[in-house]
Amino acid sequence: MNFSDLLHSAMHDLLAPGASLSAFRPELTLCATILVILLAKMALPRWTTSAFWLTLLGIAAALWFAYPWSWASDAIPPAHSIFTGVLVSDSFSVFLRLLLLLFAILFTTFTQVSGVASQDDMTEFYVLMLGALVGMCLMISANHILMVAMGVELASVPCYVLAGTQRQQPRSSEASLKYAVFGAGAAGIMLYGLSLLVGVLGTAHLPTMSTRLAMLIQSGGGLDRGLVLVLGGLMLMVGVGFKLSAFPFHFWAPDVFEGATAEVAAFLSIASKAAALGLLVRLALGFSFHPDPAMLAVLAPVRHYIVVLVGMLAVVTCTFGNLAAYGQNNMKRLLAYSTIAHAGYMMMPVAAAVALVGVDMGEARAAVASLCVYLAIYLFMNLAAFAIVAFLRNELGSEDLREYAGMVRRSPGLTVCMAVVMFSLLGLPPLSGFVAKWFIFLSLISAKLWIVLAIGALNTLLSLFYYLRVVKVMTLSAEPLHRPAPTIPLVSMAGSYCMVLTVPVVLLFFFAGGLLNWARAAASTLLY
Amino acid sequence: MMNLLTQPVGLSHYLAVSAVLFVCGFLCMATKRNILGVLMGIELVLNGANLNFVAFGSRLLRGGTSDGLGLDGQAIALFVIILAAAEAAGALAIALNFYHTHATVDVDRAEELKG
Repeated sequence: MNFSDLLHSAMHDLLAPGASLSAFRPELTLCATILVILLAKMALPRWTTSAFWLTLLGIAAALWFAYPWSWASDAIPPAHSIFTGVLVSDSFSVFLRLLLLLFAILFTTFTQVSGVASQDDMTEFYVLMLGALVGMCLMISANHILMVAMGVELASVPCYVLAGTQRQQPRSSEASLKYAVFGAGAAGIMLYGLSLLVGVLGTAHLPTMSTRLAMLIQSGGGLDRGLVLVLGGLMLMVGVGFKLSAFPFHFWAPDVFEGATAEVAAFLSIASKAAALGLLVRLALGFSFHPDPAMLAVLAPVRHYIVVLVGMLAVVTCTFGNLAAYGQNNMKRLLAYSTIAHAGYMMMPVAAAVALVGVDMGEARAAVASLCVYLAIYLFMNLAAFAIVAFLRNELGSEDLREYAGMVRRSPGLTVCMAVVMFSLLGLPPLSGFVAKWFIFLSLISAKLWIVLAIGALNTLLSLFYYLRVVKVMTLSAEPLHRPAPTIPLVSMAGSYCMVLTVPVVLLFFFAGGLLNWARAAASTLLY
Repeated sequence: MMNLLTQPVGLSHYLAVSAVLFVCGFLCMATKRNILGVLMGIELVLNGANLNFVAFGSRLLRGGTSDGLGLDGQAIALFVIILAAAEAAGALAIALNFYHTHATVDVDRAEELKG
């Protein structure tokens, strides 16, 4: 093939309708928005709220491009790799990207309502958020080790800085320092692990890696290579586990959440976690699946390794998060441990999906669909919880749970919202948190992971007490004597924002079927 | 077990050097109390990974077989260099801010948040 043919095929791959660039439009829109915000700050310094409006506009445009308009008319297109196999565009990445962008819109509104982005550093705040968002979009559609590394770093580095946006406060700078040092260390270890995996398998393209892995196992391989692969897999899990705040790598989460503002904590606990789970699904299914049935059977030991690793991490993370949340009085710390526990719940269906890959592909897809349902519901529940904490901080100047005493008398609407969110996080019917847990436990049953199921169910019981304690303090405890309880009526900006988030938490229970259809569509193009 | 010292320089030698870099960097991250020392440790780990990527990608070191990583290894290494620079810039800014609020760059003094 001569040079002009090569150029021609590259141009075709890039520009043809439905090819690389058109599938990549949402990310490009986000990148363009970053540039426009920075230029607008220079060109129009008097327009002080430019960053907020431009961010909102940019994300809305990205959402427009990311929405799969053609799905309604014809069937879901099969997965296809873009940019010569570096990224993959399928319904799973479309679904998660929609979720991330929806979250970004809600989050941008949230920062404006709660007023965290003060006028002078507002631009930087939104630029960093958009940068992290681009990284997360790369994480969920990664199909190549280069993109795994790029996505993780691009999503992490802006978050380190976001954690320290309140520069004058020692706690905030300490939080960002801890996050940056631990995060960079974990990323370094992950990269070394990736270099080992890539080197032994001789390729960095995920589907080709699974082929090489199967060939290696088929030919007997040799113990030394297997050992290097196991070591590389563990090191890779250090980086992913850090992003997920899975058990041995969770220690940053409570400190960072407490030091950073509640808004940034919400961003870390929802967007960052969703992207990390997307990446975990890509990696776990990527290494355990091969389209050829003979090769698929050969990969059984790899699947066993992944199921044990992810399942064990899930169980330990979940239990640890729920136990550690007990003694917490700082609301952000409590929600941080709750986030850790939920990360554990959300890793369970990944283990189930990998366990089912060799057995029943339809059930494996259903397990991934249950993860998608959980993520969508978790978005509303957790964002509502952090929003209420942020609005109460604006009123009280404190995030201590004991300060919330007797709130039900002054702001009954907000207390009801908080109670709904807490019961939903716990997983009580008739709230959507129940639906989320239900589908996850169903996927564990079909994967026959009984131990994980038992510990997951036990954990739901464990979490009862600390979620209920929040509700108890807000409703039953007496108002403190030295000052009145905070008053936030539902018809204020803050109150109506909480309403907007709480209503879906209830409604998604009754309309769970629609959400499940979306989630099934999201998982339908995986594993082919 | 072949003796690395008597062999002509090959892939194993590069891997040994990168493993030494990784271990040095890891120990540096784990034991240093100065933030700048920790950041240097992270750079060592990243460079160890980079050396691996380039060595695995080299056709010469693999003895001319074409099933290796190829140019992907060097491409990843280039990206990692850029990522390391971006990360160092961010982390140094954060360290400077920590110095402004705490008047020290000792990571053990970051102890206000715990529980």
